[in-house]
Amino acid sequence: MAAMLFVMVGGAVLPMLGSDIEGGSLSMGALEDGGPGGAVPAQMTVSVEEGIEGGAEMEVVEMKHSPEKKRRVRIYSQKFRKEWLHLKEFQGWLTEGITDDRAHCTVCDKELLAGKSELLKHSRGKKHRTRAAKSNPNPPPVQHGLSRVIDEDGMPHLLRIVDLRSDTVTQPSREMKKAMMEATLGDDVFSEDPTVKTLEDRVAQMLEKEAALFVPSGTMANLICVMTHCWGRGSEVIVGDQSHLYLWAQGGMAQIGSVHHRTIKNLPDGTFSLNEVRGLVRDEHDPQSPLTSLICVENPHHNAGGKAIPLNWMDELGALCSELGLPLHCDGARLINASVALGTSPARIVQACDSVSLCLNKGLGAPMGSLVIGTKEFIAKAKRLRKVLGGGLHQSGIVAAAGLWALDHVAPRLSWDHTHARALAQSVCEEHSSAVTVDLKDVHTNVVLLHCDNIRVNAKKLCQRLASVTDEESDELSEQIVVMALAISDTTVRLVTHCDIRKEDVRSATRKLKYVIHEYDNMMYLEYKISV
Amino acid sequence: MADLAGETMNGGGGGGGEIKVGVGGKTRVGEEGGVGVGAKIRVGEEGRVGVGGKTRVVDLRSDTLTYPSLGMKTAMMEAILGDDVLGEDPTVNALQERVARLLGKESAAFLPSGTMCNLIAVLLHCDRRGGEVLVGDNCHIYRWEQGGIAQFGGVHSKSLKTHPDGTFSLTELRQAVRADNIHFPRPSLVCVENTHNMEGGKVLPLSWLDELSVTCRELGLPLHMDGARLLNASVSLGVSPERIVRDFDSVTICLSKGLGAPVGSVLVSSAAFIERAKRLRKGLGGGMRQSGVLAAAGLYALQHIYPRLSEDHKHVQIIAKAVNECVGGAVTCDPSGAHTNILMLTCDPARITPAQFCTRMEKVGEGEEAALGERVSCRLISINDTTVRLVTYKDISLDDVEALVKKLVYVIKGIA
Repeated sequence: MAAMLFVMVGGAVLPMLGSDIEGGSLSMGALEDGGPGGAVPAQMTVSVEEGIEGGAEMEVVEMKHSPEKKRRVRIYSQKFRKEWLHLKEFQGWLTEGITDDRAHCTVCDKELLAGKSELLKHSRGKKHRTRAAKSNPNPPPVQHGLSRVIDEDGMPHLLRIVDLRSDTVTQPSREMKKAMMEATLGDDVFSEDPTVKTLEDRVAQMLEKEAALFVPSGTMANLICVMTHCWGRGSEVIVGDQSHLYLWAQGGMAQIGSVHHRTIKNLPDGTFSLNEVRGLVRDEHDPQSPLTSLICVENPHHNAGGKAIPLNWMDELGALCSELGLPLHCDGARLINASVALGTSPARIVQACDSVSLCLNKGLGAPMGSLVIGTKEFIAKAKRLRKVLGGGLHQSGIVAAAGLWALDHVAPRLSWDHTHARALAQSVCEEHSSAVTVDLKDVHTNVVLLHCDNIRVNAKKLCQRLASVTDEESDELSEQIVVMALAISDTTVRLVTHCDIRKEDVRSATRKLKYVIHEYDNMMYLEYKISV
Repeated sequence: MADLAGETMNGGGGGGGEIKVGVGGKTRVGEEGGVGVGAKIRVGEEGRVGVGGKTRVVDLRSDTLTYPSLGMKTAMMEAILGDDVLGEDPTVNALQERVARLLGKESAAFLPSGTMCNLIAVLLHCDRRGGEVLVGDNCHIYRWEQGGIAQFGGVHSKSLKTHPDGTFSLTELRQAVRADNIHFPRPSLVCVENTHNMEGGKVLPLSWLDELSVTCRELGLPLHMDGARLLNASVSLGVSPERIVRDFDSVTICLSKGLGAPVGSVLVSSAAFIERAKRLRKGLGGGMRQSGVLAAAGLYALQHIYPRLSEDHKHVQIIAKAVNECVGGAVTCDPSGAHTNILMLTCDPARITPAQFCTRMEKVGEGEEAALGERVSCRLISINDTTVRLVTYKDISLDDVEALVKKLVYVIKGIA
């Protein structure tokens, strides 16, 4: 098959999603391990047009009553007016901007100053008119979600890129950015940022704990929690052998925290045997043993496929920890997803936990940030650790505001991500293929794990194929669809839905999945040998 | 009562803030504080707003209090973003390239804080067991980073006596770099701080830096510069940042201080070093996602705020001169010792302690409003039992400086 390989390195997508940057060419280099397996490295040049348009500012000049009649000019801040949306010249491309003195051109995907003459000037510009004609030869609506990309040969393509690599790729929406712009700020190192304080109080309350601490990442949140619980030398933590803390935190607990760990076998549902836990707890009188200081649980369990841990098991684990006199930490990076899946409040899930880490930068869609939640005393120590690790930020309210907005506007819609994930899984099930399989009942939240048979296709090949578009495919589907996914093992491909994945994206992704699986099913024996 | 329109900006400090007011018509809020018809109003600690009669708060505790302007925030919101852990945030990449070029180095990494930059630099230079870093005894890494290099890196510090000009003796350095002996840790790195914060924002002499680098080359030791306020040094010397750090293997530079960005610092070095730095950044928990939103502020700062840093230095000189003119006062300073945007005031503890002085400066005393023509509250920091520090930055206007000076002179003259 004649395959045109598109490797969507992040930069190829972004110019269409974000605003313009200075004109020029962005050359995107090879994508290295974005995870195990990763996408295929290739060189792609993306052509980005134009810089930012804007009107000239007028300066204030002293009023002089002189024969020369010097004019007094005021600096204006023209606000966007809704009545403009009804004007013929503005229809099909004009919408409100991220602040009330800005407008947005959906055709050029650009923020403009909200002055009527500015907007008219923009609409008459050659580039705008060319784009308006190209993107859709017929009048509105402008199609959303398509990216215009130019390949190595200089050919332009209109692609639908569905980025399911992770829910960390979420971009802040215009409304979220508005909230960030309007946030009141202060220096959080002096504990004077009111927006950060509001976020911390809000999340503490949500989880019914005493206090919370805003930190730059989930990795730091977990690291801080482990180190705070294991404040003394010679500590040991019991942690699931498939957990993020054990596998994906660069061994930070040991490297940075000087804390040893003991793994316990994770079961397919993300839990572990409580009896086995008892057996792992150390004898404090044995000088050969470190001191067991903490037990960690991950909910939802990402590696197990985003599984929400059963509530009764969490309660039993909590009871066991109480009995053993050991604290319990919950890596709740995607806790809100678990809460939606279980139909219970996040506070209820972590009731028995002494500390929790929660991420704002994943499905909740904030650009960065996570929280540590615990008692007041715990958070005081955690704050100290945050500083020494280098996580003490200054006017961080600007990003905390994004977190607050996310809790209000994105958290309530998380069930859509789960619905979308199920739709993707369903589409694979419907093919009844032996090449690529998925268990629908394993899809609890926004994660789908596809299993490859390793005969016709392995995980790496599947990711490559999903990120490519062939001529036959684009003829049959009447659309050029790129699905970005991650190979998390030799045979498992992970898809993660999130708030930037719209219904149209899901529809296209399911069509693509079915098409590709169909291809594998129809593969002749000879091709097996070639492809693997 | 004036009509309130426009934005509220928190000018830092408890309850402090500023509201730009336009009476009728439209007001545009600019970086300097906005222009419009109407009075500039300061929200005092009581939090009440109105025209006239309220307190002007001049917060000089640190240049970390810099507030992102509207222009900066707009740049942040318009930035193109991506997942920086995957290396896909073009704004972060652009900032890193820009700063690396500015310092004449191969590569750079955007980090959440200067503390993390220094921590990573030391841990990477001293990545074998039993290492030792040679540092000035009054530097930030030694005094103000919670001993992180020991706590996380197992790195020992050998402190060298800091001179008032921020340097240390190269003879002492040579003596401190001891021969290989089973009793001694292995010297692995030498660190300097430029500008030197605790010595009053002093700019290290270029000639000393050159001698230091020759010495370290002879001793086979790498050099790291904590250049949190490097650009202040560059502006003060009239020398490019590249020249200052020419012989340094790694450099920390902060965007969140006088440069005015809300968050962030950059570690600069060779490509290989930065690759390792990014790895350690992830392990420490500094791997951020769409951090281009913060990097955009850094880019804006380099373009718009960096060119005006000398204003902050001028403001310090105005303040220093005024204090100096209070002959026989309980509080004195040395204007020639104020190279950049930091001023150290020395209190005669027999007459007034630094803590008392700070409290006095913050309070609006009896009769003061009448004497000064307005209510002024100044926030300073007491560093030790004889010294008070003040730091100027872009949000401290000339008006604020003049009010501060009036208050300083008034208070100093009022001390027995």
